Amino acid sequence: MSKIYYKEHANEVELFEAAASMHLPILIKGPTGCGKTRFIEAMGEKLGRKVYTVVCHDDLSAADLVGRHLIDEGGTFWQDGPLTKAVRDGGICYLDEIIEARKDTTVVLHSLADYRRVLPIDRTGELIEAHPDFMLVVSYNPGYQNVLKGMKPSTKQRFISLSFTYPNADIEKEIIIKESGVNADIAQKLVEIAGEIRKLNDNEIEEAVSTRLLVYAAKLIVKGFDEYEACMHSIVESLSDDDEVIEVLKKLIDLHFHSKS
Amino acid sequence: MLEFEESIGKIWNHVLTKKTNTAYEDKRVFFEDKSKVLNIFYRLLGGENGKELHVTDKRFIDTSRTLLQKISGSGKIFFLAWQDETGVYLPSSLAYFDSHEQNSMMYIWLVAMATRFDRYRGNLVEKNFHASSELLNRYPGFIAFYKKAVDQLIEKNEKLSFVKSLDGENLTDEDYLEHLDLYPFPLWLYPPLSSKKKYSEFDDKDEPVRGNNQTEKIDTLKMKKQASQIDDKKQTDGLLAFLPDALMSIMEQVNVDRSEDDSFDEDALYNAEDLDEITLGQKKANLNARLKMDLDISSNSKEEYPIGKGYFIDEWDYSKDKYLKHYVCIKPLITTNIEPVAFPLHLKKIYKKIQAELDLMQLDRIKNTNLPYGDELNLDTWIEYKGHQNKSGHHQKFYTNFERKMRDMSTLILADISLSTEAAITQEIRVIDAIKDSLMVFSESLEYLEDRFAIYAFSSLKNTNVRFHIIKNFKEKYSDYVRGKIDNIKPGYYTRLGAAIRESSKILNKQQSLNKLLLIISDGKPNDVDRYDGRYGIEDTKKAILEAKKLGLVPFCITIDIEAKDYLSYLFGKNGYVVVRDSKKLPKILPEIYMSLTK
Ligand SMILES: Nc1ncnc2c1ncn2[C@@H]1O[C@H](COP(=O)(O)OP(=O)(O)O)[C@@H](O)[C@H]1O
Ligand SMILES: [Mg+2]
Repeated sequence: MSKIYYKEHANEVELFEAAASMHLPILIKGPTGCGKTRFIEAMGEKLGRKVYTVVCHDDLSAADLVGRHLIDEGGTFWQDGPLTKAVRDGGICYLDEIIEARKDTTVVLHSLADYRRVLPIDRTGELIEAHPDFMLVVSYNPGYQNVLKGMKPSTKQRFISLSFTYPNADIEKEIIIKESGVNADIAQKLVEIAGEIRKLNDNEIEEAVSTRLLVYAAKLIVKGFDEYEACMHSIVESLSDDDEVIEVLKKLIDLHFHSKS
Repeated sequence: MLEFEESIGKIWNHVLTKKTNTAYEDKRVFFEDKSKVLNIFYRLLGGENGKELHVTDKRFIDTSRTLLQKISGSGKIFFLAWQDETGVYLPSSLAYFDSHEQNSMMYIWLVAMATRFDRYRGNLVEKNFHASSELLNRYPGFIAFYKKAVDQLIEKNEKLSFVKSLDGENLTDEDYLEHLDLYPFPLWLYPPLSSKKKYSEFDDKDEPVRGNNQTEKIDTLKMKKQASQIDDKKQTDGLLAFLPDALMSIMEQVNVDRSEDDSFDEDALYNAEDLDEITLGQKKANLNARLKMDLDISSNSKEEYPIGKGYFIDEWDYSKDKYLKHYVCIKPLITTNIEPVAFPLHLKKIYKKIQAELDLMQLDRIKNTNLPYGDELNLDTWIEYKGHQNKSGHHQKFYTNFERKMRDMSTLILADISLSTEAAITQEIRVIDAIKDSLMVFSESLEYLEDRFAIYAFSSLKNTNVRFHIIKNFKEKYSDYVRGKIDNIKPGYYTRLGAAIRESSKILNKQQSLNKLLLIISDGKPNDVDRYDGRYGIEDTKKAILEAKKLGLVPFCITIDIEAKDYLSYLFGKNGYVVVRDSKKLPKILPEIYMSLTK
């Protein structure tokens, strides 16, 4: 029984447990790679509930969540979608990047998110009452979303909200060390670099450098790559295509991990 | 004997050139080529938002006490890095070292110094010492550069060796005094150049006044009066950037040394076609001159009518951290006697492309499924029907149809028509031409989309006169006359961007639509003749944008400029603007904005 490693930022574990016991859905906002998925996996393990993860996108249909009829040699049959499975059997249904999904897809969530806790399935005429262990968790990344695309307040208000940011330096350092096995000095450097790059939440950089990228960099270093090179491949190249920005980031990495070459 | 003399001569020559010729010309690195990188770097290392990097003017330092310099007669002019509350000023090029790499690195070093310098208290030596130490500690990558740089600089001028002997524990005022009369150390930051007030503020205490040869020492580092007035780099920027091209050409280098010539006559400006260089200097000297210019270049007023006397709105003063109430006067203007103008031929192709893009996006197409008849068979509904238990009670609605949808959107386009838009983008077109082209193309496209839209254009002449031209309001129908008004736009005056944004927000906010887009087309630089320049203008504009967002409007800026300015993302947010260098790019932009807004 391997415990999933999750380092708490603040009191989110307690909040999650409270929400679970009160049968309330949870909304997590935070940038990519800050530990949202890991958090939910860890909570699933802690509460002994299966986690059904759905990464949302433009083309996601209600049927992808709820289920659909399929055909086999015996004719058609109904197949539950991940949402329906969690509702029937109990479990955490985690909709990642919910904002990417179209509105007509997410309407099915309303009756599940409020006091009714039921899921109507039009196509089979079923009305499923949610298992006591069913829990709805949605997340979105407010960073690269348009204001107008934001969530409807009436939907938002049904949720307990958790707001994630990148962990503070000490916590992030510990995460990097635990996840990669890199030494404390290098982890410290990586955290400093991240702190600096995060000042650039501007036009040049599409996304800020995430904890995930730092862990990747650390893992490459542990695998024997030169620190400079490891950062180049994990952090620098993935953040920008702009030559000048890359030049700056390279220089920054070089200043921190003076390249031997 | 002869041989001996000759070789002495050689050595002497060698010593002279080695020590006084400080430049490696073929390894020179220019700020211009590095400015974007350096600006990003500045913010990366924690530099203040809203501050920008600029080129510094020269400063004079009396170094004649150095015998060698006296003999060779060089070394009096220095280009040293410094900063004040609005910007960081760096030499326009660097050639201290024998490699491009080392010279570029020096820029990075100076920028890094600027981010740390003011975190420390004390005199110039202390601040520089602590900032350098911090950088070397935190960034091992600087160590090799710094060692090499210090060695090479000292090799050229052993008097700089004091830098090596500095010891953080025992920095005393004597150290400071002792070093004041030496050559400035190029890796350090120095006091602001343009104002003496700032210089004196810089010294935390009055320690330089102590000691025996105090006067001498103060004199040494203090810029000479003359220098400080010529070095009015910022003023030069502020004014020159907004003169029309025609005037620019005869006024390339603007520099009046009032300390030498107090009898400066503004009229000289106009009698001066034969001069390559005309000099203007400090702001006050030019107020009259500028007013004259304003008269000469005022836009064609025959057809412009003010509507009412104007009304007053607030402005944000960042230095006081509060609004100046009723500080700015907005004067709405309409232009009459307009000839109708057809959609310009040269834009037809661009417009066609936009139209195609918009069509492709099918912004207005919504899908209806479960129809008894329609465009396409929907397999899902059919399978569902097959799987349904009770087929008799089930509708046979297997079809999908596409329907046109009304988007609920109002767009207000605000165009900057200040004189700075006279600047040329290419040989043929100026910024203002590109702005007019976009107005034409956008109107046509918005009309095609059946969206509600309005167009306003503005320029300003201090807080008392923000000229707000009504090109098309929301009620007016789009027509040849609207195009006529666009065509008739002429650049004039300055850019009080914050005020214009506030006024536009007010108008747009009255619209009933669900989505309200405030599209700003500008060369992006807020400025006016009064203090509305640099940081003040930027902070006010940022405030105005925040206000608009609070109202639920979506501000978006299309910047037509040769180069992207760093403050743009500070003003509009990282997704709030786009820089266009070429009007051919416009066809992509409008559809993209729409795509992201209406999804
Ligand atoms: N609090 C945390 N505890 C443990 N690991 C973390 C934490 N935050 C981030 N990580 C690391 O970062 C990686 C990315 O996190 P993830 O949960 O996938 O991000 P998100 O879902 O927010 O995009 C994880 O695989 C893990 O290595
Ligand atoms: Mg302007």
